[in-house]
Amino acid sequence: MIHHVVHVTEYLYSERVSTSHHDLHLLPRSTPTQRCLREELEIAPPPAMRRERTDDFGNRCTYVEIHEPHNNLRVTSRADVDVAPPAPLPATSAPWEAVREAVRAGADADARAARAYAFASPHVPTSSAAARAYALPSFAAGRGIVEAARELTTRINKDFVYDSRATTIATPVEEVLKLRRGVCQDFAHVELACLRALGLPARYVSGYLVTRPPPGKPRLVGADASHAWVAVFVPALGWLPLDPTNDLVPGEQHITVAWGRDYSDVTPVRGVIMGGGRHDLWVSVDVSPGEPAPATG
Amino acid sequence: MPGTTLRAATDPPRTPEAAPGAVASPPTGDTLRAYAARSTGLDELADERGEIRPAWRGFAARFDALAPGELARRWAEARHLIHDNGVSFNVYGDPKGMERPWPLGPMPIVVGAEEHAALARGVTQRARLFDALLADIYGPQRVLDEGLLPAELVLAHPGFLRPCRGVAPMGGRFLHLYAADVVRGGSGAWSVLADRTQAPSGAGYALENRIIVSRILPDEFRDCHVERLATYFQQVRRTMVALAPRGGDNPRVVLLSPGPYNATYFEQAFLAQYLGYMLVEGADLTVRDGCVYVKTLGGLHRVDVIRRRLNDDFCDPLELRADSALGVPGLLEAVREGNVAIANALGSGVVQTAALMPFLPAVCRALLGEELALPSVETWWCGEPRVLAHVLAQLDDMVIKPAFPTGRIEPIFCDELDAAALAELRARLQANPSAWVAQRRATLSTTPLWEAGELQPRRLLMRSFAVSEAGSEVGGAYHVMPGGLGVVAARDQRHDISIQRGATSQDTWVVADGPVNALSLLRPAGAPVELSRGGGDLPSRVADNLYWLGRYAERLDAMARLARTAVARLPDGAEPTDSLLRALRAQARILTPPEPAPGERDRLAEIAALIFEEKQGTLADTLRAVHRVGRAARDRLSSDTWRVITALDQELREAETWAGVVNTTGAFSSLLDRLVALLAALSGLVMDSMSRGHGWRFLDMGRRLERAVSLALTIDATLTTAQPAEPLVLESLLEAADSAITYRRRYLASLQAAPVLDLLLTDPTNPRSVVFQLGALLEHIVKLPHLPGRARDGIETALAGGADALLSRLEETSVRRLAEVDADERRPELVAMMAELARELPALSDALTESYLNHATQARQLARLVWRAPEGASER
Repeated sequence: MIHHVVHVTEYLYSERVSTSHHDLHLLPRSTPTQRCLREELEIAPPPAMRRERTDDFGNRCTYVEIHEPHNNLRVTSRADVDVAPPAPLPATSAPWEAVREAVRAGADADARAARAYAFASPHVPTSSAAARAYALPSFAAGRGIVEAARELTTRINKDFVYDSRATTIATPVEEVLKLRRGVCQDFAHVELACLRALGLPARYVSGYLVTRPPPGKPRLVGADASHAWVAVFVPALGWLPLDPTNDLVPGEQHITVAWGRDYSDVTPVRGVIMGGGRHDLWVSVDVSPGEPAPATG
Repeated sequence: MPGTTLRAATDPPRTPEAAPGAVASPPTGDTLRAYAARSTGLDELADERGEIRPAWRGFAARFDALAPGELARRWAEARHLIHDNGVSFNVYGDPKGMERPWPLGPMPIVVGAEEHAALARGVTQRARLFDALLADIYGPQRVLDEGLLPAELVLAHPGFLRPCRGVAPMGGRFLHLYAADVVRGGSGAWSVLADRTQAPSGAGYALENRIIVSRILPDEFRDCHVERLATYFQQVRRTMVALAPRGGDNPRVVLLSPGPYNATYFEQAFLAQYLGYMLVEGADLTVRDGCVYVKTLGGLHRVDVIRRRLNDDFCDPLELRADSALGVPGLLEAVREGNVAIANALGSGVVQTAALMPFLPAVCRALLGEELALPSVETWWCGEPRVLAHVLAQLDDMVIKPAFPTGRIEPIFCDELDAAALAELRARLQANPSAWVAQRRATLSTTPLWEAGELQPRRLLMRSFAVSEAGSEVGGAYHVMPGGLGVVAARDQRHDISIQRGATSQDTWVVADGPVNALSLLRPAGAPVELSRGGGDLPSRVADNLYWLGRYAERLDAMARLARTAVARLPDGAEPTDSLLRALRAQARILTPPEPAPGERDRLAEIAALIFEEKQGTLADTLRAVHRVGRAARDRLSSDTWRVITALDQELREAETWAGVVNTTGAFSSLLDRLVALLAALSGLVMDSMSRGHGWRFLDMGRRLERAVSLALTIDATLTTAQPAEPLVLESLLEAADSAITYRRRYLASLQAAPVLDLLLTDPTNPRSVVFQLGALLEHIVKLPHLPGRARDGIETALAGGADALLSRLEETSVRRLAEVDADERRPELVAMMAELARELPALSDALTESYLNHATQARQLARLVWRAPEGASER
């Protein structure tokens, strides 16, 4: 299914900004189930310098310098992304402890690569006793990793309330675990803390949801803004995405932009400004049915 | 010998100690021979038979020949040198003052050239190993794939800066400066207690120690053929130059400092001066088009090499630590573009952990194909269950340290813990084993420490420094400093040896058999450098600090003079003291006067409050401000100037201790006399010995502007209303403004408002008049550097116009009219004039700082995206 994404981020400053530097994670990456057909990044005021690169996680990032005095910054990302339908979940999978051991031992190249997502990261502690205790009921001895992780996703969805006023970016996972409230980012961080506390590699995925769902399908929570979910490492299968905010396995309605250990690795718009006073931030996301890919020639 | 431990350093078994609290005995002329004879344990100087080791013999013979009391006499002089030079370090978490004098002992630690060469080979190999390891960690990660290192040690280390992975540093090398903390263990061999790969400190202190100790023991130093430290610093210079991406002989190298609140700021300023690097903070640098520039009064200047003392994660708030206020946004991108070299490379902190030590022998074999020559002290990383069990089984013998940098966790000495604390520690280790490292308590050698004439054996740690050779490849050669920073444990030091916790430093002498190269960088030799009359390369932040140094010093001067006159006039009764107190309050910007103070004691108490109180604007507060901004501009001030600033601070600290106890007019007068004299010395030094660059210009503009403001405030507080006692007030004002002699010469004894106002406001020949200050300001303004990118002369013209307009107003004013009194005994013309000055002078200051110094704005992090509930989406 092809989606057309328009993601606008706008900062309004109360005082003039003389110069600013930004690091953007806005261009969708290609994945085994997703192709980015077209993309463009429009930045106003126009940057004095702009560089594209691929980060250590394989995401596409953009470095931007603006030296023109400005009172607002508008970053518009437009992309056509072709998302393949998800493969059906395997009926059985390796016991979760076997996954942990394979990763610990660095059994093969995939397991070694997965270790990048196995340890503590700025927003996700691995030594959280609370996260471990919360996760354990789903991880009975010998239970298949897919089944266990899928159930964990459902439990988070049921136990936690979507509440955009309960938390901020700075709210630690431990606190979210107590509050049982938060937004997609918090739920993703909670699930990551649970999985990593058990020694299982899991990564944070940032992206979008279809804002205008196909007829007959419900509108998902988290549309109209950036969305976040997780993916857990499953040997032989690869990375299994799980969306705790909507209790489902992401498929054609989820567009991946970037992944990392947690939000801090894939923050869509980062910036350091000189001047500016107070600032307001406006974000809008629109995902509509896109044009088919142009014939290649 | 597990029974003897670091802890034993608290209680050396061999020597009788002076009873605690005993008054230091007069120097007895204790000899090294006697020290050796009574030595029993592993000692640097004495061998197991109680004889002096060969390397020390030459020194010991000369030392023991010193007349009794001679070292004490020289040492007393040296202590002044340390104090006067302002050699200091900051103690984190020290509420008072926070700057402490650098602790140095006069006794050198002597190491034979051959032994040092062997140590240097080991230090070099470790440096090469860490360089190669960093290249691997930020490159192919072979050490992880082959299981040579537990993945967690790298991947969970907050110092593993992922954005730096795949970024090739300039020249390919990561580690340009390395230091190893080495100790001599029970076997007599050196081993490494800690590796420093982040931004090693201490080389500057080692140099400072050398400068001082070689002055105390000049003959001994010369005769012992002590290797010069300058070879090391020369190599540092060559290596930094060779790193420059654009090549050339004279690249711009800056020393990036975390700022004056960092523990080793003094050392950073000293090294910058010694090596000829500009000392900068993050806010002085900016990244444009992927290149790094330093913001100066003369505009932006390209930076080629950054020698950083700032931890790498703080260096770029855009891609690394977002909460860093000390970094430079875009710095990492500038590295990626190949436009700047940073030493050490960003990311090098990841290998600065004792947790790596158990794995180094295998990593050394794999990466260098060599056996590790200089071992680490016995170390275990608890992240493996088998190892954890081993550590827990012998916990009593262990020192526990965090595996990853986590704030300031002190090493835990398990033998000092009681059963409950030990149980708690066990639980902590078991809860998160991979966060901890255990080291066996090492048995350290002792070295003689000279203390009040006696020689005491104290545990020794030595920091050895290495610098990569210019232009070499990854894993290539290093040059090791022939010497090092000796750190000697304090008598009652129960924890690891560190200056922060009370240890003393000592110079390290590597003695050669023959004469040594007498190289010194203090008088630079070699190729002639390009002549520079500089000025335009003054960082804007430094100009800002110098400007405020001028302002605060002048404000302090005005306050001290007013207070002194007020104290002297106390016996005269209400006037002129009350007028002077109003003027003093005005200087302090304290607007509400206290209740009328009728008695002499109360007036004295108010003066004391205006001097000492912990309140904004008091004399003490202004003095602290002088010290603060002076310190921030430390590298631009001569040591004499800094000495005066230190002395000012010292005066007040001493006075504070008796404030409230001794509050006699005599005591106040002498304190204020001393402050005024020191401030006169300060302004004399500034006038006489500071080169007339832009730094001086901004300092003097600050002084001029503040002096004009002070006079305006004083006149406004004292003369706007006429009063019967006015002659007394006029007299004391002339005294406070140091203009009494001029007045008396001109007008003899007749004290009237108009001639006094003429002298203080409009007389262009009186260096203390307002007009004189404005004239001097105007001269400075026309010589300010042109600001690039602005209309030529625009700013300068506007500023000069402002000063000129004020000047004309004053020159055209008739002092007779200013002095005229209305029916209410008010002087309306004078009130209006003072109001104009009170408005226009600060406006001039603002215009000046906004045009030239405003780079000082802080960079700020943008708020990240916060998810809002989408419109219309229902909450569940």
